Amino acid sequence: MMRVMIADDEAPAREKLEHWLAEQPDVTVVGSVKDGLSAAQCIEQRRPQVAFLDVQMPTLSGLQVAAQLDPSSAPLIVFVTAFDQHALKAFDLNAVDYLLKPYDRERFARTVQRVRERLQSYQPGARAVAMGRAQWPASERLLVPDGERLRLIETASIEWLQADDNYVHVHTAGSRYLLRRTLHDLLFQLGEQRFMRIHRSTAVNIGCIAALAPLFKGDYEVHLHNGRVLRLSRRYRDMLFARMVW
Amino acid sequence: MYPQNDFRYLAFGRFAPPTLRLPQGSWLSPWPPLHSVGMNAPSRLPQAGVLTDDGATFPLKTFATLWTIFWLLMMSVTAQDALRNPHTLWWEPVLWEGSSILVATAWMLPALRVRQRYAVYLDKPLAWFACYVRWLPLVAVTFIAAVYAIRFGVYAAVGRTYEHSSWRFIVVYESVRLVLFAGLWLGILFGIDSYGQWQLQRHRLLQTRKALAEAQLAQLQGQLRPHFLFNALNTVSALMHTDVERADRLVAMLGDLLRISLRSIEHEMTPLADELHTLQLYADIMRERFRDRVSVHWHTDETLLSTPVPALLLQPLLENVFKHGVERTVAPVRIDVRVRRESGALEILVSNSGSLLTPGHRDGVGFRNCRERLGIIYGHAASLLVRNEGDGVAARVLIPLTSAFA
Repeated sequence: MMRVMIADDEAPAREKLEHWLAEQPDVTVVGSVKDGLSAAQCIEQRRPQVAFLDVQMPTLSGLQVAAQLDPSSAPLIVFVTAFDQHALKAFDLNAVDYLLKPYDRERFARTVQRVRERLQSYQPGARAVAMGRAQWPASERLLVPDGERLRLIETASIEWLQADDNYVHVHTAGSRYLLRRTLHDLLFQLGEQRFMRIHRSTAVNIGCIAALAPLFKGDYEVHLHNGRVLRLSRRYRDMLFARMVW
Repeated sequence: MYPQNDFRYLAFGRFAPPTLRLPQGSWLSPWPPLHSVGMNAPSRLPQAGVLTDDGATFPLKTFATLWTIFWLLMMSVTAQDALRNPHTLWWEPVLWEGSSILVATAWMLPALRVRQRYAVYLDKPLAWFACYVRWLPLVAVTFIAAVYAIRFGVYAAVGRTYEHSSWRFIVVYESVRLVLFAGLWLGILFGIDSYGQWQLQRHRLLQTRKALAEAQLAQLQGQLRPHFLFNALNTVSALMHTDVERADRLVAMLGDLLRISLRSIEHEMTPLADELHTLQLYADIMRERFRDRVSVHWHTDETLLSTPVPALLLQPLLENVFKHGVERTVAPVRIDVRVRRESGALEILVSNSGSLLTPGHRDGVGFRNCRERLGIIYGHAASLLVRNEGDGVAARVLIPLTSAFA
């Protein structure tokens, strides 16, 4: 069975998709939500294989939802839109699936057929995620799990990141969030302007660095404004110095 | 007397007094009430009296020049005539004519001052002249009294006696002279003001036409905005499978709305009822799309439905509510459209709950267009205000309800 999720803020549009998807013998609709944040949450919790995302939604647009996902585990995304010239160009360019409103049964069937075929490929959601991120080169907000729910935090409020196997601890002034992502992928999403790797398993918000103190063998201690001390390994030293213009 | 700068104010006439009250018909009962006074312009413009327009120029400089030339001529004629008489001193004709000039000018100033108030009667020359002529008895009495007082005073000051004809003759002679001069000068004033009025109306007509064309284009773009149109079509397509009747109704509404956008508009003003109908069509279509989170409430004072309002003025206000108040939130939104009489004005209030203006908020094109048109048609008498009220945003349009509209 193909597990499918629908996100659209307009009830009639949602109902139409639900209705037609339910007619497909190999499809189960595992969620039908009204906004971007709920869509991300639904993807996180119910792990659908396919997500039909409306482009224009409250809280997070369809593209922003895609940008927040982990490319290795993201569902195959089909963007649904009435009209958005800019997005359409990006869809075509990145060979991402989309459905134009209004659509008829034939066009819908073609899309579902293509989805079935693409689901067999490696990391079927990666393309849409990459495209979503390309639209927002540096995410200003990051979606993090907070208990049972997901919430958006300002990227600027993140002080440092700590890798832990396939997870990343995101440290802000008041809290710590655990994301099931690789540090590499998260840094790619957050962009190079603000965050810098200082160790194999650590990255830091450059604005939070208060001082650097040399240790032996070319390593340094990185003192943050909040008092925490992190280690800067020799391997990343020159890159950090270049960025900080000491 | 009027101070120098006051005269300049009169002479250029650009800065109209802040409120121009329309003269009421009481004094002039033989003439028709104001609202049936026809306008020269072919379109249904509001009454000139409610307009305060910076574009109007009444060429009063011309008037002042003519006035000066006329009196210089009069004085030279009198002087030539008098100087042939050996008993007359050189200053005597200057005094005679000068006293007349002084008092005549003193009366001309208030006449010029009220001419903007009487401008509404320029289409009815009889009414216009009557407005002035009704003052003639008072003017005649004060004119004769003042002129002769000055002459007696000056003669007494130089120790001579002023010899004049019998009082009966003087009153008749001066009155006739005054009537002739008043007729001449009111005629000139009428000509100048009519010309100014004509220019003003032509200017305003062009402006109004242009603003209407822009509003119409904006409306059309709003309706044909792909985001609106394709989403509406998708809603129809979705309803088709669940509720054919409703889908059918939605298609009809969409058709009506597009028809309204595409028709060519003859009149700048449209009855409020029509404008509200367009607004309702738009609201109904949008409500179908967002039916699980939008409710629209109408509160209309039925007695105001025939009030003329600028065509296509209101839709941008509602578009804004959906764009900022509905599409960006998941919470239920209550929209209120309120039409009522508020201290002599028509108040149209479009408000939504649940979202506030951001602090650095700036007007979009829709609001700017609205505001421009209100300014062109009503001057400062109308307004459009957008602000946070309670837990939402309210856009308030105030349009003057003049006696002509009430």
